[in-house]
Parts: sequence; structure tokens; C-alpha cells
Amino acid sequence: MEKDSVFNLGRMRLSGNQAIARGALEAGVRVTSAYPGAPISDLQGSFEQLAGNISKKNAFTNKVGEALERVGYQLAAHWGTTTNEDNSMALALGAVICKADYKKREFLTEQEWDLVYGDTVFAQDEEKRIPVGSRVMCSFKHLGGNTAADALRVAVNVVPYTGGLGLASGDDRQGTSSQTMQDNKVLYGFHIRIPTLELHSPRTAHSTVKNCYRLFEELGVPFAVVMNYDLSYREVSVDPVMALDMAANQRRKGFTRDPKHLVTIGPHIRAREHRYHSKLIPLFKTKIKENFEFLGNRMAAFGDKPKVMLVVNGPFREDFEMVHNDPTLRERLNRKYGDVLVMETDIVFPQPDSLFEELVSKHGIEKIYVFEEGYGRVIYLQLLDLVNQNQLDVKVFDRSIPYEPRIYERFSYIDHIMNI
Amino acid sequence: MALAQSTALKNKTKDEITYLRPVSNCTGCGDTKVSWSVHEGMRRFNRKLGLKGKDRYELIYAADRGCGNLQGYHAYGIVDAIFCMGSGAIVGDGIKESCSEKQIVVTASGDGAYNFNISGIKFAAKNKRFGAINVIYNNYNIRMTGGQIPLETDFDKEGPALGFDIIHVNPFRVDDNAELFKDLYDRYLKKEKVMVIADGVCVLDMGKDARNSGVKMGRMVRSEECLDLKFAKERERVAMEEPEKLKDLPRFKCRLCGIGLRCHALLNNDPRQCQACGSCLQFPCPANALSFEGISFSTSVSIPELIDK
Repeated sequence: MEKDSVFNLGRMRLSGNQAIARGALEAGVRVTSAYPGAPISDLQGSFEQLAGNISKKNAFTNKVGEALERVGYQLAAHWGTTTNEDNSMALALGAVICKADYKKREFLTEQEWDLVYGDTVFAQDEEKRIPVGSRVMCSFKHLGGNTAADALRVAVNVVPYTGGLGLASGDDRQGTSSQTMQDNKVLYGFHIRIPTLELHSPRTAHSTVKNCYRLFEELGVPFAVVMNYDLSYREVSVDPVMALDMAANQRRKGFTRDPKHLVTIGPHIRAREHRYHSKLIPLFKTKIKENFEFLGNRMAAFGDKPKVMLVVNGPFREDFEMVHNDPTLRERLNRKYGDVLVMETDIVFPQPDSLFEELVSKHGIEKIYVFEEGYGRVIYLQLLDLVNQNQLDVKVFDRSIPYEPRIYERFSYIDHIMNI
Repeated sequence: MALAQSTALKNKTKDEITYLRPVSNCTGCGDTKVSWSVHEGMRRFNRKLGLKGKDRYELIYAADRGCGNLQGYHAYGIVDAIFCMGSGAIVGDGIKESCSEKQIVVTASGDGAYNFNISGIKFAAKNKRFGAINVIYNNYNIRMTGGQIPLETDFDKEGPALGFDIIHVNPFRVDDNAELFKDLYDRYLKKEKVMVIADGVCVLDMGKDARNSGVKMGRMVRSEECLDLKFAKERERVAMEEPEKLKDLPRFKCRLCGIGLRCHALLNNDPRQCQACGSCLQFPCPANALSFEGISFSTSVSIPELIDK
């Protein structure tokens, strides 16, 4: 089984949507639901083809479909009949709360496990294993988040039963095929308050998605990945080796009764809501810091004594990768900022506070410039809050752009970083 | 582990202190009667098939906002999942994707939630992978807990259009309804789609109509065979003769009817609190101690019919 679950895609170019689909499949996702809408439709479209609901139409689904069939991969896809985003989210909730299997702890200590699972029906497990079930992916476009917000917010109330749920949001911040240019990082990060990442490239999206499932399932919380219009559609060459987590895909099915958690009425949720904000979000921050590189992020120093730090996120990060390979750009960077420390990150919420504190005190950072796309300024506002609350001697500057430039605007993210 | 146990205990204590009156349906509300029948139907279904222990089918009951969540308090053990408005049916279909083959999912919605998210109900009808039993608490006569305008949905037209077989039930006929659900679980396994409409659910409202129409409703009667009554006498004896042992005695012996039917008249053994719903007529009392004098709403929810009787 394990040997069969690793296979070679061959030379292939994948769009951002297909890359997310690939990441979900590699994570062993068993149930997918969605409501289509540009730019995210292709994601669920791939699942529909792979589940056999419609015929396979492209090289990706043909190649992967053969492999899934060979290993007996279980996949249910619901698109044709979920009639809006709220329904697709509610269906995903129903599918993810069924926990009848266990996996060993990978990221949590025993004490942390008590914090997450201590008041569930699984609290009696002596080995403190992680209760698991189907991994689920739900996707819709940015405005779909508004329609689904009711069910989305409930997903927080039933933590940790929603561990194993991934949300994918296609953000049309160009307004190309939408009535508004909403920034869904605000919705997922600030309003729903679940771990949120802005994927920066179709080249690496699959591994980030796969690792998000591994980490956040254990933390018992759903996560959201956001991708902008351009990246959702743009195709790039990808790592050809695809490895399916068949153990996750073939987990035992079953619903475990725990009405105190799964019935969301006042007497049940009040204490948990308080605990989520005061205990669990700090835990998520700690775990994100500990697994910073595991989630596909990295630190890079350009010069020996950096006093300036750049935080590059989303499409800024994708363009910034050119700096690593281009001496001219590196020279321009140093001319603009002097010695500089760069955090290349997909993390939007929650920011790993202690990591920033460590970096600021270790290097004596005086200024932090935040480059993110969308009007939400979600990273900037969190860093501002961090600096104020801890009275750090550092200034934070917002260098975001409030929308996604359209291609004919000839906008260059790297120019924005170098010339601002 | 010790931490986990103490946390749960602490929460339980807090529940009891903070919420002395947990969310609950009114005494004479038909909703809980339907839920009781749903659970009792599953017990009878397993008995019919001769299944025991781990071989038994298990009921998963998913409801949504509205009257459904009044039964959601964890100590009742009635409802297993309640999320957002109108989500009962669609969450139920999500559960079907990930639950075992031995688990049967019944979903419940109020008529308001039905209209709020009719597309979710439609999904349950169109999903060919699973059967569906969807209970609708049709609150047309009490305008819901929030006093919303009654929608008076014509389920007989809408249900078949969506793809459901429609069955109307009188919620107070708990025994008949348990038999109905016993049969429905068979149909569920054959992937059939059934919508059960529980009509006329408030005895206070119906009682007012009955009184205005000059109908004199009956009262519950509990015979001396009742296990709790016998036990009360035993408690009296202990209190008189061995008072030091009284604290070790439980307060009740059975209480099955009061808990199962959520009836205050039965719980307090006070016929004056009886609202004449008539559920106790059909309740399978282990000591056959329950009876009813006069006419009840279990006979009919239609006033003209009650007058005729």
C-alpha cells in the first residue's frame, strides 16, 4: 500500500487550484464540498472528476485518477447538489466531526493534549492519542465566505472536533468576476479567528496544505488557505513526486457521541468560547512558531547586522524569491534597506508573537515593514498590537496594497518592495 | 488524566449552578414527544431485527436552531449535533459521509429552519448515496418561540416536489410514532427519502382552543402500581423509622415517564399540571401504572374531532 501511494506525475504544470487539490489528496482528504465561483471552481472541479462525478478532462486528473484507483483511495465530492456556500460548509462540518479512529501525537505534549482534548469524551484515553476521522476540504470564493459565515463561526464552537477541516478561499481581489474585492483574510483571521495562510505559489501550495492538515488536525482546529486570483489560475511546473497519506484516507468511520461539544447551545459553548481565545489561540501561536519551517515559511538574512526586517506575504513572497537568485536585486535591496532580515511567510493569523520578540531582541531590529495584499492589513495590525502590548522599541510600517492589481496594470510586487 | 477528569467535573458543577433551568421544551410541547418516538423507534427496530450489543443500529439525531435546540442540553441525551440555522439536514448528510454503516442519521428542523435553508433539505433529497429521514416540527399554531409569523408551509405539495415521501404525525401519539419510526429505519437503509411532519405541537395553545370550544379535556391518572409511588411510601417509612438512612436513598425509583416525556405532571405526580396531551396513554410504563381519564390531544389535534368525541 505504502509503495503504491507514492507515484510520479511526470512533467506537469499545475494551477494554484490544482496544487491545493493535490495537497488535499496527499493529506488523505476523504470528503470535499464546495460551491463553485471564480477563481476557486477548478479546485472542486478536480475533486469532482477524481470522484467520478464527471469525466476526467485534463492531464492532472487523468494521471492522478489512475493512481487513486490503483490504491483504492476513498473520495466523496459534493458540488452539483450543494446549492450555496453555507450548505457546503455545513456538510463539511457534519463530515469532519465524526471521530472514530486514533493517531499518535506528533506535535502536542501531554499537557497541551489535556488543554485541547481534556473535556471531550476522549479525555479518558490513557495514551493521549489524537481522535481522528475523515479529513475534509471545503472551498468557495471570497464572497462565499459571507454566505457561509454562520457555519464557519460554529466550526470554532465545536473545536477540537473540527480538526481535519481545511478551507480554501479563492480571493478575487481584482474584481474580475465578482461584485466586490473582499479580502477574506479579515474574515478567517480576525472574525472567525482560525489559523489562516495566504499561499504564495502553486509550486509549493501542495506541501503547505498537506502539512497544515497534519498540524492543525492535531490542534483540533480548522484552517483556511487563501489564494489570490492570479495565483489560482496561473500554472507552474511542480515537484513530480506525489505521496498520498493512505492511512489518513482509510481511517475507520463512525460518529462518537459528545452532545456537550457537538450541540452548540449557550450552556455548552460559553466556557469553551472563553478557553478558545485565552488558551487555544496562544497554543496555536506557539505551535506555529515551533513548526514555522514545517509550514513552508523561512527566514533569510541579507547582511550581517540587520536593523530592518521585512515581512513578505502572499504574492509579495512569490516575487521576493527572485532576490535569492539575482545579485542585482540583492544589491538594490541592501541599498534600499541596508542589512535586512526577511521573513518569508504564508502565515496570516495568528502571528507567532514570541518569534518576533526573539528576532527583535536578538538582532536589535528597529523597523519592520509589512508587505501583504488586501485591505485587511491583518499581519500589520497584529504586529502593531504585539509591539504596543509588549512595549517593544520597534516601529512597524504598513506597506500593503489594498487590492490585487490586474495584469494589464503591469504591477511588479518586487518593484513595490524595492521602490516604496 | 486527573486534569481531564477534574475539568469535566468542574464544568458539570458550573452547568448546574449557572443554569438551574437548562434550555428545555415546555411540558406540553410535542417536539420532545417526537424525539422520544425517534429514539424508542430505534430500540424497537433493533429488537425486531434481534440485534444486541455492538451489532445494534445506532441513532444519530442532528437538529438545528429553533425548537430542536431546546432539547439539546447534554444531560437529556436526546440530540447529538446542533449547529447553525437550517443546517440540520445538510449536517446530517455530512455525518452520513463519515459515520459507520451501523449508524442511522435522523435530522430535524422547525418549519422556519426548513424555509430558511430549503436548499439543504433539497440536497438530502437529491443525495443518492444515502437514505433520509427528516423530521419537521411544524409550529404553525404557536408561531415559534420568537413569535415569528407562521409560515404555514404546504408540505404536502413541497415535499413530493423535493423528492420526499410525506408522513404527517400527531406528536402525542408516541407509541404509534415509535412504530412508524421503527419502519422508517428499514426504509432509510433502502435509501428512501421520508419527511415526517409533526403537526400541532403546543398543548397550551390547543388547550385554549379546546376550552373556548367548550371541550372538557381529561387528566392523567397514576395507579398505586407506579414504582415511584411505591418507592415514595418506602422513603416515608425510612424517614419515620430509620431517618439516618434516608440520605443514602435515591429520591426516585423509576421516573421513566417523567424523563421520557418531559411531563411535569408525571414528574411531580400532580394531575392538576396535566395539559391533556395524552402521551402517557401510550407510554410503555414498565408497571402499567399509567392511564388517562377523558379525552386527550393524542386522540386528535383537531377541535371539531374532539367535540365529536
